[in-house]
Amino acid sequence: TPRHATPSIPSRSAPARKPGNVLEEARARLHVSSVPESLPCREQEFQDIYNFVESKVIDGTGGCMYISGVPGTGKTATVHEVIRSLQQASEQDEIPQFRFIEINGMKMTDPHQAYVQILQKLTDQKATPDHAAALLEKRFSAPAPKKETTVLLVDELDLLWTRKQNVMYNLFDWPTRRNARLVVLTIANTMDLPERIMINRVASRLGLTRMSFQPYTFKQLQQIITSRLNRVKAFEEDALQLVSRKVAALSGDARRCLDICRRATEICEHSAGLQKGSGLVAMSHVMETLDEMFSSSYITAIRCASLQEQLFLRAVIAEFRRLGLEEATFQQVFVQHQALCRVEGLQPASVSEGLAVCQRLGSCRLLLLEGSRLDLLLRIRLNVSQDDVLYALKAD
Amino acid sequence: MQCAGYPEDKLRSLADRLPCRETQVTTLLSLMGEPDQYSYPSIFIYGHRATGKSHVVFSVMKDLELPYTFVDCVECVSPALLFHRVLLAFFGPDAAASLPRCPSLSDFVRLYKQMSSKTPATQTRFIILDRAERTRDMDFSLLPALLRLQELVSDNVTVILLSQVVWEKFRPNTGCFEPLLFHFPDYNKADLVQILSRDHHPSYTPELYASYINILLGVFFSVCRDLRELRHLAALNFPKFCEPLEKGEAKESDIHKLWRNIEPHLQRAMQTVYLREVSSMQWKEQQMDEKETTTPRGLSAHAHIELPYYSKFLLIAAYLASFNPARTDRRFFLKSHGKIKKTNFLKKHEKTSNHLLGPKPFPLDRLLAIFYSVVDSRVAPTASIFSQIMSLVSLQLLTQIGHDDQLDAPKYKCAVSMDFILAISRTVNFDAVKYLYDFL
Repeated sequence: TPRHATPSIPSRSAPARKPGNVLEEARARLHVSSVPESLPCREQEFQDIYNFVESKVIDGTGGCMYISGVPGTGKTATVHEVIRSLQQASEQDEIPQFRFIEINGMKMTDPHQAYVQILQKLTDQKATPDHAAALLEKRFSAPAPKKETTVLLVDELDLLWTRKQNVMYNLFDWPTRRNARLVVLTIANTMDLPERIMINRVASRLGLTRMSFQPYTFKQLQQIITSRLNRVKAFEEDALQLVSRKVAALSGDARRCLDICRRATEICEHSAGLQKGSGLVAMSHVMETLDEMFSSSYITAIRCASLQEQLFLRAVIAEFRRLGLEEATFQQVFVQHQALCRVEGLQPASVSEGLAVCQRLGSCRLLLLEGSRLDLLLRIRLNVSQDDVLYALKAD
Repeated sequence: MQCAGYPEDKLRSLADRLPCRETQVTTLLSLMGEPDQYSYPSIFIYGHRATGKSHVVFSVMKDLELPYTFVDCVECVSPALLFHRVLLAFFGPDAAASLPRCPSLSDFVRLYKQMSSKTPATQTRFIILDRAERTRDMDFSLLPALLRLQELVSDNVTVILLSQVVWEKFRPNTGCFEPLLFHFPDYNKADLVQILSRDHHPSYTPELYASYINILLGVFFSVCRDLRELRHLAALNFPKFCEPLEKGEAKESDIHKLWRNIEPHLQRAMQTVYLREVSSMQWKEQQMDEKETTTPRGLSAHAHIELPYYSKFLLIAAYLASFNPARTDRRFFLKSHGKIKKTNFLKKHEKTSNHLLGPKPFPLDRLLAIFYSVVDSRVAPTASIFSQIMSLVSLQLLTQIGHDDQLDAPKYKCAVSMDFILAISRTVNFDAVKYLYDFL
């Protein structure tokens, strides 16, 4: 085998099918991985990051920026967008040349692998983490007059945490060197991450250049979907509004929103096969999708459970009421269970059957159980609220 | 016994070899089905000690010449040994040698698949795990994987788990594939008579041996239903039973006379051999030498050890400190005590018998105070006294509580029985019972 082979995956024998109808077209456009031409509703954030990086590149200095926000608010996409437009600008010689490298904390088995990946992306060298750290240290502290600026994007920063925090420390310390010319953009989910997990000398090096991405409002979500669809008419207006309002009320996660829209097109396609509709995604389809994706599966699980399992859950609640605690041993619950069996006119279950019922509920996580070795003495807690159980049991 | 797919004559000989287990053998065979059919992925067989679980499964496998591997889980300190044994039995030493040094479950499954695609199973392969309760302590994914091994390796393989523990104590919290549960019931008295009578002595009639077994079970059945133990006792005591016949004092028909002869002997055996106070060898020798009039000194009769003079007093003092409430010390050990009566000044928990609750910890000062009070002569607190305390600890006659400080006020507990203390106090002419609050 060649020594420096580029890894590749086998290509498919026939090219991927082009979308045939409107719904398929919409689905392809709504896919989370299809990057849009521009990011709507993030103009301000885009401008801020752009100005920050541009000024550092032009000045030839270094710096850090911390970007936070809940998942699905467009942090990584915005940074990528910024880099893309900066690269365009540098190609047109408006700003000096710079290099962009990216690492992701979640793609590493160990925080110290960050050194190895940075070194490999910078110089194509392979080294052990310790050696890579030494090489990088030398590279960033040695004076080099014609060095170009490096922009380093660190995604999922919280996973680079180590006990001594030396990885984070180095990442934030290199930009402060006079000759480093390193711009570090860090992304994480929580806003107070520097205060929470970083020791003072790391947090102070990270600096106060912070930016937080707010969750999308329903108008923004609606705008995102419309811009994604780009005049492909697949959704009714009301349906779009319902999706964006629902998602905005819960999390403001754009990825979630896109997923729901895609699922709604699938449901629409399926039901169009059964009966001739308008071919557009209507409110009813969206409602069905929302039910599918947001409703709690616990209640369905309780409703579909066998009679003995439902009786057992009832016995658990009865025992909790009797004890006034949220915890009981199997022995206590089983006595209640047998009493309930008699009330219902069923043959009382044996201990092994009762334990089997209990452990089955435990394996679907409706109950929280201790190890099965304790048999009669194993403690039982409910994993769902008592009201949910009662609602699920009563509804029939 | 009728079962399709297996030769008649082998089944018949199997039925002869496994008395009182016909139903279990038939059920097992019908669970296994014909050799080329797929069997149920896992069977869990449980029952008490010596109910023939391993024996039945082992003889079925061996007599019917099925491909099987028998693994005792106690031997498998790591799952690697189990994997090694399975591969060795099914695919030969080459497959077993190609296991990596520390094989994971996925290594095993991959290798098994690879091998079984080369030599696919023509008959159901059986993996028999004896004392399967040990698998719970190994890797947590091992037991669920073994239960659905058939599905994982897509080969005609069945895992049979043998255990004395019920299945409820096995089930992992995340759920698993449920095996077929199969119970082996205990032998009843008639079964035991039937099984034990099979190994009769060639020089006597089977009827005599059967009556001997009846007498033996009459004595032992109420305390022991373990076939192995009973068989051992039967073999051990049979020469004694035959003694009157050999001497010509009785005939084979005089069952009552033989019973009168053997019954006290068996009663004594229950207290000595059965509790392993006397080893079987010693018991046999005693029967040879006809010395059974002198009661044999068993292991527990040897329970007193020779100690130095002051160590004995130290141990007695420790015992008194452990089993007396500290408030009663003044009454017992001050020279000018008045009348000692059980009074009401003790707290409630101190009034319940301390011998039921076990020994209580006491500080070193109290031990020494009691020690000086019980020893009549003047003893200097020399280094040897203190080192004797430490050597009592190292002999495990005392235990040190709370290892926080070795020098500053260490606490101890007395760890010997009352009989031991009474034996010791007799040697130094000290009446320990007089000083025990429980026996006042």
